Amino acid sequence: NESPLLATCLLLVAALNLEVSANGLVNEEVKRTVDLSTHLAKITAEIVLSNQGHSAVQSFILAVEEDLTPHLAYIGASVKGDEEEDGTLELQQTTIPGQSGHFYKVQLPSSLAAGAQLKAKVEMTFSHVLRPFPTHVTQAERQLVVFQGNHYLYSPYPTRSQTTRVRLASKTVESYTKLGNPSKNDEIIEYGPFRDVAPFSEDTMKIHYENNTPFLTISSITRTIEVSHWGNIAVEETIDLRHTGAVLKGPFSRYDYQRQSDSGISSVKSFKTILPASAQDVYYRDEIGNISTSHLQVLDDSVEVEVRPRFPLFGGWKTHYIIGYNLPSYEYLYTLGDQYALKMRLVDHVYDDQVIDFLTVKIILPEGARNIHVDTPYKIDRMPNQLHYTYLDTFGRPVLVATKNNLVEHHIQDVVVHYNFNKILMLQEPLLVVGAFYILFFTVIIYVRLDFAITKDPAAEVRMKVASITEQVLTLVNKRLGLYRHMDEVVNRYKQSRDTGALNSGRKTLEADHRALTNEISSLQARLKAEGSDLADKVSDVQKLDGQVKELVCRSCQEAERLVAGKVKKEAYIESEKTLTGKRQELVSRIDSLLDAL
Amino acid sequence: MKSSPNKGVLLQYWLSGALGGWGGTSDGKHKASTNAGGSVHGNSRPGAAGGGGGKVGLSGGLTQPAGWQSLLSFSILFLACLAGFSSRLFAVIRFESIIHEFDPWFNYRSTHHLTTNGFYEFLNWFDERAWYPLGRIVGGTVYPGLMVTAGLIHYVLNLLHITVHIRDVCVFLAPVFSGLTAISTFLLTRELWNQGAGLLAACFIAIVPGYISRSVAGSFDNEGIAIFALQFTYYLWVKSVKTGSVFWTIGCCLSYFYMVSAWGGYVFIINLIPLHVFVLLLMQRYSRRVYIAYSTFYIVGLVLSMQIPFVGFQPIRTSEHMAAAGVFALLQAYAFLQYLKDRLTRQEFQTLFFLGVSLAAGMVFLTVIYLTYTGLYVRLLTCYAKIHIPIIASVSEHQPTTWVSFFFDLHILVCTFPAGLWFCIKNINDERVFVALYAISAVYFAGVMVRLMLTLTPVVCMLSAVAFSSVFEHYMGDDTKREKPPEKAEEGLGPNIKSIVTMLMLMLLMMFAVHCTWVTSNAYSSPSVVLASYNHDGTRNILDDFREAYYWLRQNTDEHARVMSWWDYGYQIAGMANRTTLVDNNTWNNSHIALVGKAMSSNESAAYQIMRSLDVDYVLIIFGGVIGYSGDDINKFLWMVRIAEGEHPKDIRESDYFTPQGEFRVDKAGSPTLLNCLMYKMSYYRFGEMQVRRGALTPPGFDRTRNAEIGNKDIKFKHLEEAFTSEHWLVRIYKVKKLDNREPLDHKLRSVVPKQKYTSKKVPLMLGGEFALQVWRDSFRFS
Repeated sequence: NESPLLATCLLLVAALNLEVSANGLVNEEVKRTVDLSTHLAKITAEIVLSNQGHSAVQSFILAVEEDLTPHLAYIGASVKGDEEEDGTLELQQTTIPGQSGHFYKVQLPSSLAAGAQLKAKVEMTFSHVLRPFPTHVTQAERQLVVFQGNHYLYSPYPTRSQTTRVRLASKTVESYTKLGNPSKNDEIIEYGPFRDVAPFSEDTMKIHYENNTPFLTISSITRTIEVSHWGNIAVEETIDLRHTGAVLKGPFSRYDYQRQSDSGISSVKSFKTILPASAQDVYYRDEIGNISTSHLQVLDDSVEVEVRPRFPLFGGWKTHYIIGYNLPSYEYLYTLGDQYALKMRLVDHVYDDQVIDFLTVKIILPEGARNIHVDTPYKIDRMPNQLHYTYLDTFGRPVLVATKNNLVEHHIQDVVVHYNFNKILMLQEPLLVVGAFYILFFTVIIYVRLDFAITKDPAAEVRMKVASITEQVLTLVNKRLGLYRHMDEVVNRYKQSRDTGALNSGRKTLEADHRALTNEISSLQARLKAEGSDLADKVSDVQKLDGQVKELVCRSCQEAERLVAGKVKKEAYIESEKTLTGKRQELVSRIDSLLDAL
Repeated sequence: MKSSPNKGVLLQYWLSGALGGWGGTSDGKHKASTNAGGSVHGNSRPGAAGGGGGKVGLSGGLTQPAGWQSLLSFSILFLACLAGFSSRLFAVIRFESIIHEFDPWFNYRSTHHLTTNGFYEFLNWFDERAWYPLGRIVGGTVYPGLMVTAGLIHYVLNLLHITVHIRDVCVFLAPVFSGLTAISTFLLTRELWNQGAGLLAACFIAIVPGYISRSVAGSFDNEGIAIFALQFTYYLWVKSVKTGSVFWTIGCCLSYFYMVSAWGGYVFIINLIPLHVFVLLLMQRYSRRVYIAYSTFYIVGLVLSMQIPFVGFQPIRTSEHMAAAGVFALLQAYAFLQYLKDRLTRQEFQTLFFLGVSLAAGMVFLTVIYLTYTGLYVRLLTCYAKIHIPIIASVSEHQPTTWVSFFFDLHILVCTFPAGLWFCIKNINDERVFVALYAISAVYFAGVMVRLMLTLTPVVCMLSAVAFSSVFEHYMGDDTKREKPPEKAEEGLGPNIKSIVTMLMLMLLMMFAVHCTWVTSNAYSSPSVVLASYNHDGTRNILDDFREAYYWLRQNTDEHARVMSWWDYGYQIAGMANRTTLVDNNTWNNSHIALVGKAMSSNESAAYQIMRSLDVDYVLIIFGGVIGYSGDDINKFLWMVRIAEGEHPKDIRESDYFTPQGEFRVDKAGSPTLLNCLMYKMSYYRFGEMQVRRGALTPPGFDRTRNAEIGNKDIKFKHLEEAFTSEHWLVRIYKVKKLDNREPLDHKLRSVVPKQKYTSKKVPLMLGGEFALQVWRDSFRFS
């Protein structure tokens, strides 16, 4: 059935290839590699492109077959120069009227002169193109998959010579198309070389082989990056994982799974996730708690988490988990004045050869970030910004949301978010806490100091009044007792210096102070009496006792005078002084006990 | 009866929420530390002490600032709360922040429902995922206090943008409330005795294992908050009896309302308070204060308690609440008589009294007749349920308490609390009557059921604190100061005796603290959802089989799949696997459980009939034979048989599952009925091939839990298939197959050429069929 297809192709080419032939590009030599050893189809083609037209060419066109376009996750082209390293080229999607499939216009770094040649390398990765067949297997069976592709390079240009090499996951191959008598060697099937292939040639290549590599698919991932200017970036990924290989049919026997090593060979027990080297506080959990079956290994340039789902994933089974960690912000956040730039991976490694069906990225910037501008490495759908509230937020943190379908490892690239942030706003949160505590204490103070009772309790009021008066009385009485002590000192000094003037002046001040204090106390006593407190009596007792003390003090003073004047002998003085002091002490202790009872 | 002498005191009152009223009882701790032995005497009339408190507080203000005392007690109380909180975190630190056990999973699930769908949606929640196909009206069959509390905390925190997950709120709710319990116990004990005893009681309740057993972090259960509500209600009750103020009584009612909303144990309050009032009447301690307190409490409390949908009209219908009503009536009559006594002559009064008494007796008689008639009276006998309903007897926490567990849970307190009780009775007053009644009734209930140990614990803490406090006052006092020592000197307590006794007491307390920590750490801090085993070198293995299997169910079965399991695992399946269950830990429908039990204990084909009729998609069982986990389904199996036999005595007989010698064996000697029943087959499916690693001597199929080689190694299923088995075989899930396609007929189909005249009769034929159906339905309706 090849010839009619070829014929139509040729016809089409003849009819529509005017534009293409106009620039006269030809694929001189094509080396295609179709890598089917994982659950992805990675097709690379090394093309020697020659310009056989008359004018220089600025760009060339890459084509993807119609059948494969929905599965195309990544396409990239680079030029293999002699002097410089591989330069990645910019791609732009275009259409070619009348041709099916997707087309990408590749801008060349320098124009290709007429007659010149150029080596280009094209990389394409397709997800979900390996169909399990049979679609359901039992636990003991192995997983077989079918790949359906093109023997030829799908290109708008004629191809002079081409080889296709297919790498499989295992030696076991059920069947494969035999165009041009391919050679099979272990896991490798080589097609070609094919000569002079017309533009847009398609010929179905079908390979049915055993592939037990984990067919893991991340059906959705939400990656949340929360930036804090206090030095931390928190990353959390919520992942829905599904085994998209052949669905498990019949029972799952733990006995077989534990005893036979090849039982459930296509199932996934665990995989490795590589986190950034500075990742800390890694957690791995789901809705019902911590998943205890994981291991963390800190390496020099990365942190490896051996993620083991709660249960082995068989075909068709799914699981859901959350993995999160903290990063120091100095590695990812750059600042100049109040301008900031966050440079982080838009999507990170989850497992080798990962496929992400649907990605949501949320970047939470600090409260008060303005003039947000995002540089993405590839096209991504931006959603309207949201607000996020967390600890001590008042007006919310801006959240950038973006989504994208169908991602593979090639998409692990950096995104840069520029924004402005006023550093004063850093003080907002501490001030908020300080303010809250201030208000709390202030309320307590207000509550304690002011009386909020609706009814007045006269008894309590009187009690409080009495209490304050007694307190005053206590201080006054103590002060008065202090006067006597002072007087004693004066007397002692007098005994040594014999300075009558000093004694007299001391006595005078004592008299004056004592009178003032006594008056004050008696006025307080009167007030106590007015309040109707029985404490007034006690105070009057104190007053009486105090009068006696005063007398004693005066007497000791006179005695001292007499001693100095030589009217009494020393022994007699000491004797009388002793009795006086004894009396005084007794009185003072009585006053003290009265005061205690107050 | 005003308690605070000056305003400065209010600061401490407010700050600590507890330490107020220095004036009222400031002679308590203060004297306790300075004046040997004086305080027992001085405190026998705390009411009278209140008036004089001002003076003491004032002079103390100069010589020894009251501020120091309140600071000290504030810090002690704070540290007690902190110790209580942190000693409950063993499980969180060792494992993770996770909900424990079984019931908490339901509470967590409903709290989650509350927070996501709002309060009214929660009240009207009909849970179609439980008790398939009956469903459960959750809003009307739970005590919502716990969920509302957690939901409210979560709501407030989120309002303040403190984004805490509801799970963490639930996990840490019980420890936080245990801190509050310490405070309310402090308050109550202070009312009963003095501040020093209050602080001791707070310290005790913070760490006592009897309470920790129900309130570790992650045990999100009603009891966690109910003990706080219980203690706080009692505090407010004592306060209102003391003051006779409506304010305190209304506070008491609100607290009672909270308790009603939180736990079925509120019945304890509504019986104990009337009992208190009744005994006060008997002791001729009737006063206007008691009258005001109880009348207000009964009426407002009754109305409030009826607001809880689950309680509804029970407070006026059921016998548990009749005591309260009776005492209310009695109190009114008593007060009326008191009133009449003032107005009437002696003769008139006597006639009236006799008339009243005979009338009341008649009323009581009629009520009793009515109660007996309606059968409610029977429920008063707590033992009834235990003997007659195996499902209640099958729960381990409904077993009678052993002596060991008294000591295990309370340690030294169980020995000292009678002393405290004696001190209280010796210096009796209104509120000490209350605590004595509390102690006596709680001891009785704790003896009936292990679970009710919880109500005993607080009162034991309080009374032990009283005992310890009195001893310390006596032996630790500094009698060189103040004027009283001379008269106390005759006691002749030498410094040696004093220090020896003090040391001894401190030793006891230290041992108590050590014991509490040890028990908490070893006995009460296992989440039971996650098991841990330790290797010889001390490293830990976590057996996470439960969550593995539940999560498998959650992820890899149909969202509406119905899972049959024994009722123990119902809440966990609903909470963790989010699948429909047939029976769960809310064991309200015995016959449904019996049906599940019957399915488990029948042979496969009979079980298949039952499972088909119940739309079962998966069957989940727990099997511990591989790792030696003793709480598995085979060990519970006899209860399933018993419960099934209770409802289906014709099909299931317990004796069939025993050997002729009356043993329950799983090995070859076991009864054939057992070896072929569904539970046995599901547990041991393919286990016969398995060589459990424990020395080469054990044969394949050796059950480590029951130490026996299983008797039936050749197990084949016709209607089930293994769907999932967890890593250590702890959980096994089987899928119930749909009906097979019909077997192809072995003879050729009869080819009939349809004739026109038969097809015309189709319509009347159908009518006839419908008619028959109608008749059948009617007969069903009238039967």
